[in-house]
This record gives sequence, C-alpha cells and structure tokens, in this order.
Amino acid sequence: MTQTVFTPATLPKNDNINRYAYSVAVDNHILIRKGKMIAYYGNLRFERLGSTVLDILVSNAFNSPLSINDFICVAGQGQLIIGDLGNDISGYDLDNANLTIRATHLLGFQPTLLCQESVVPGFLTLLGTGRMLASSNGPVHFVEPPCFADEQALLGWADCPCPAFRYDHNYIRGYASAVGSFTGFTLSGEEKQVDFSGKGTVLVQSSEAQLAGQGGLLSSLLAQLSGLEKDELSTLASMATGLAGKRR
Amino acid sequence: MPQFTQVNERMLAVTLAGEAVYTKRGSMVCYTGKVLFERSFLTGGNVQELGMRAVTGEGLVMMKSHGAGTVHYAHLGQFVTIVALDNEMLYAESESLLAFDSRLQAGTMFIGNQGLQQMVRGAVSGQGLFTTTVQGRGELALLSDGPAIALQVTPERPVCVDPDAYVGHKGNLSSSFVTDVNWKTFIGQTSGETYQVRFSGQGTVYIQASER
Amino acid sequence: MSTFQINSGRLLEITLAKEKVLALAGCMVAYVGSMKFEKAILGGEGLLGALKRKVTGEGMSLMTVTGDGTLYCAHEAAQLAVIPLAGDKLHVESSGLLALDAGLKTDTKFVGLHGAVSGKGLFTTTIEGQGSVAVMARGELIALAVTPATPLCVDPQAFVGYKGQIQQEFVFDVNWRTMIGQGSGESYQLKFTGQGVVFIQGAERD
Repeated sequence: MTQTVFTPATLPKNDNINRYAYSVAVDNHILIRKGKMIAYYGNLRFERLGSTVLDILVSNAFNSPLSINDFICVAGQGQLIIGDLGNDISGYDLDNANLTIRATHLLGFQPTLLCQESVVPGFLTLLGTGRMLASSNGPVHFVEPPCFADEQALLGWADCPCPAFRYDHNYIRGYASAVGSFTGFTLSGEEKQVDFSGKGTVLVQSSEAQLAGQGGLLSSLLAQLSGLEKDELSTLASMATGLAGKRR
Repeated sequence: MPQFTQVNERMLAVTLAGEAVYTKRGSMVCYTGKVLFERSFLTGGNVQELGMRAVTGEGLVMMKSHGAGTVHYAHLGQFVTIVALDNEMLYAESESLLAFDSRLQAGTMFIGNQGLQQMVRGAVSGQGLFTTTVQGRGELALLSDGPAIALQVTPERPVCVDPDAYVGHKGNLSSSFVTDVNWKTFIGQTSGETYQVRFSGQGTVYIQASER
Repeated sequence: MSTFQINSGRLLEITLAKEKVLALAGCMVAYVGSMKFEKAILGGEGLLGALKRKVTGEGMSLMTVTGDGTLYCAHEAAQLAVIPLAGDKLHVESSGLLALDAGLKTDTKFVGLHGAVSGKGLFTTTIEGQGSVAVMARGELIALAVTPATPLCVDPQAFVGYKGQIQQEFVFDVNWRTMIGQGSGESYQLKFTGQGVVFIQGAERD
C-alpha cells in the first residue's frame, strides 16, 4: 500500500488532505479553535485572543463572548494541518454571505468574517467574505427548504431565514394519546422539529452522542446560563430543585 | 413501496408515497413533505408478540413514519447499511435496527433454549436471551459502530465471530458457541467473555469493526 | 508472508498460511479457518510494559495468532493503516500498534518526558525487517516529509511514527499550551528535524 508523502510544497493549499484533515496555507492571520492543530511546517505563532496586538483584529471579527476563549489566532508563514477527532472537515467560502453553524463544529475562520452568536442557542453565525472551516459527524448532507429538521441532527444553515420550532401536535389527539403525553408513553421522539422556509440551504448530519439525559431543551437552557446574574441563577436553582422534588 | 437510499455512510433516506416505515425512535434527521411520526406499539406482530416483548425486555419499541415525502434517518454517527430481504429472515439485535419496511414482519426470537452456553451468553454479556427477527420481502437498514462488513458463510467455510462485533445474520445458518480458553482469558478486559460464535451453513453474517 | 489488507477503512484482514502474527489482544472480531491464539511471550518486558493506554494507564496485552485462513481485526471502529517494511526501520508510538508480522524484530524504549510529572511517558517501539505493521490511525494516516530545510512540529496526540534519519525533540512552548482546549494536559509539541517521513493521524489517540 503506497502512502503519499507530503512536503510543505505538495500539501494542499487551503483544502482537504482527506476527509478528516484539512491543510491551511497560513500567510496572515487566521482564527483556529484550540486543540485542533495536528501538525505544522514553517514559522507560526500561536496567540491567545485578547492580547494587545490583536485587540483591533479581534473586536472586528469576534463578537461572541461565549466562544472567544475557545479560539486562538495563528499568524506567520507555514502550512497548518487541522483535525477534529475523526470528524469530517469541510471548508466553506463565503462571498458576502452568511452561514450559521453549530458552535462546537466551527473549527476556524479568516478574520475578514464577522462571527456572532445566533439567536438559536449553541449556534454561531458567520457573515461577510472569507473562508471558514467546519467539522461534521460524518459527511454533511444539504437539504433545501421547505423542510423540517431534528434539533440534534441540525448542523447549520445558509442564507435562509432563521428557523422556528415546530411542534407535531399528533401527540395530543385522542384519549390514549392525551394520557400518554403526560407520562411520555406515546411520544415518538420527534415532537419538536426545526422548521425551515425560504431560500437557502440547510446542513444536517447524523446526530451527536449527547451527554446522558441531556435532551435538546436542556442543552438550550444550559447554553443560556452564562447570561444570568448571580441572583437569577439562585432563583433558577431553587425553582429547579423544587420541581425536581415534585416529579416522581 | 418505500424507497431506501444510502445518502452517505451514516445517513439513510426513505421516500414514502402514502406508505409506512418503522424506524428507531428519535432517529429522524430531517424531512420534506407531509410525514407523521408515531410511537408504535405493535410492529406487525400480534398481541402475543407484545406480551413477549414485555417479558423479554428486548425493547423493540419503534417509531412509525407514514405519509408522503422523503425522510432522512441517522443515529449517533453510526454507520448505516441497507439490506434487501427476499423472503428471508434476518436476525439482529434490536438496537442495531435503524429502519424497516412496514410490510416486513418483525418478531422476537427466544434463543435461550439451545443449551447451557446460551444461558451463559445472556448472563455474562448482559445481552438478552432474545434477538429480533425481520422477515419477508423488503428493505431494512442496520446500524453499526464503524462500517458493517458482510462475511459469506458457506458449508466449507464456517466463520467464527466475536459476539460483541456481531450485528446480524441472514440465511440458512446455525450458530454454536465455542468456548475457547485462549481467546480472551488473559486479557483482563471488562467483558470477561471467553467465547466466540461459530456460524455454519449457507448465508451472510454482518460484523462491525469494534466491540459493543 | 502473511498479507495485511484494510477493508472499509477500519477492518484489518490478515491472510495467514500457517504463519504467525502478533496482535493486540481483544482486537479480533472474526476469523475463517483454523486459528490458535496464545499469549505473547516476548523477549523482555519492553513491548508488553509499553502497552498502556495513554489516558487511562490501563494495561493492554499482546497475542500471537498462528493459523491458516483469514483473521479480521479491529479496534473501536478506529481507522487503520498498514505500513509495509522492506528491511527498513520504523519507529512507532507503542500504544498505536494493532498487529505486526511475528518475524519482525521489535525493541521498545521509554522515550520519557523531560521533567514530566504525569508518569505516563511516551514509549516508542522500533520495528525492523521485512513485513507489515498495522497501526491505528484515527482520521486516516497522513505521511509528511521532513527535510533539513523543512522541520515539522506535531501534536503528540496525533503522532503515530516515523521512518528515516530523524531526530525527535520535545518543545515546551508556552504558546502551544494556549492551544490546548481538550483537557489532555499535554503542553508540549514534538519537533522533527533531519531527513525522513513522519506519520500522523488526524485525531487524538485514546
């Protein structure tokens, strides 16, 4: 079995080496998620965001306090190889466009893009012109609206309006179902869907393995906790404990 | 007839034109058209089957999708393999079934009465003494950790399989447990299994590239 | 000589004709034909001692498999790669080994970690001779050339092995540490200089 041996000259320039690894030709600044660097050639500097030299750069490109600590600025000249635990990696070129992606799957982007938090918790929106890198659990599948997606399988969307949640009301029809909906007995597991309409593309993937017991609603709530003040958190904690005590 | 298509290694698409398909709960990824999802109590079986299921704990609780449209299914990044049945019976662990045509008959099969070794298997591995069967004519999709590989079994070439790598099998096969002291005794791995499953006859065994 | 082949990226198929291979115990998923499995007794504690999962420190062990037929090996659905050796010498990160021809000569050294407190050092096994070596390479194996003009820096979790006249050094770079967000606790890079080929994988090793 012959293995292709790459040199700095033969490494793909800003392209995939294989499904799971991407090669970035660094000649300026690029923002990369921590821990995704696999190897590099050349003279590269890795700087934490927020250091003085980069303040201007960062304030223009990064408008998401929740995520800022997860990213590093890479500068210099060289070839950088990125990998993400065996997930598929794809590069997306935005040309005065927008793409919203699950935050944990954004691996990197050029500072010419603006990165903001989406109103949908757990997602980041990238706007402008430039390149971004994203990973996915298996290959990405693209679907055009109108369509409905499962929250856990949703990877992101481009161009179409921000989606809404849709509830499948079948579960409240019928006597058996009504009783069942309280006990969870009749639920199919697909009651809450993400509703997309308009013109654009929806990106879906196979669902992630969630932390045990952490459904979509819990994840959304947890993602918003950092926005609460100290006494708000205490109120939340006491309410949650009270409810938990009442549930069987 | 529901059309099964492999979208990519981890995703299945089923196109429905008024028909129904049974799938793993919560496995819908996205859909277009008008499709309804319901929890299914009976999957083509009868009341006796339902009783069996409660007793066996095999837990074949599926979701029924019906309507007109295209639905994509996937589950936790596992690999998907489409198998077409032509009046045959497929045996698989219920957790490995992603979807099957509603015209196929599903049931549970008690495999615990084939000797002491079967009881050992159930007790030691924690897997039930039951397995799920799907038969008839139609398509189904299997889930596996990593790709599922189909190994042909012929009378001259029996295949020995690590039970934790077993996904399913179809055809005219008989299985026996082989206790091989050398197999894993000195490993000290948590499973503590010291046996293999030998399949002989004529058929296909599906294995995955990992241990459950 | 046995033939090593990869099926579907994650399953290793070894065809044996009364030959012997060394493989990670418990990695067998199926076989056809007649096979005998025995605990591997290697010269010295070297390789056996080295086989500890990096993160958990759990011991792994090796088996010798002799037989006639086809053996299927896999490990946690990780992608696998076969590196053929034709008389040359391969250095591999020991915990990444899956299987190798029994006729190859192996030697394991504790490479160590300068000033490391973790106690889980890096072990490198050198393998030489004629035959095949199968390694785990999550996210597929990538081969990168190292020349005197182009040294290479690698995340230790991604390092699989190297061939050739290469010097490996640890670089404790404060800036690199800032890049770690995966809780691995690794705060150094591996720097390779010289002439040869370095093999990396696109993901962390367990």
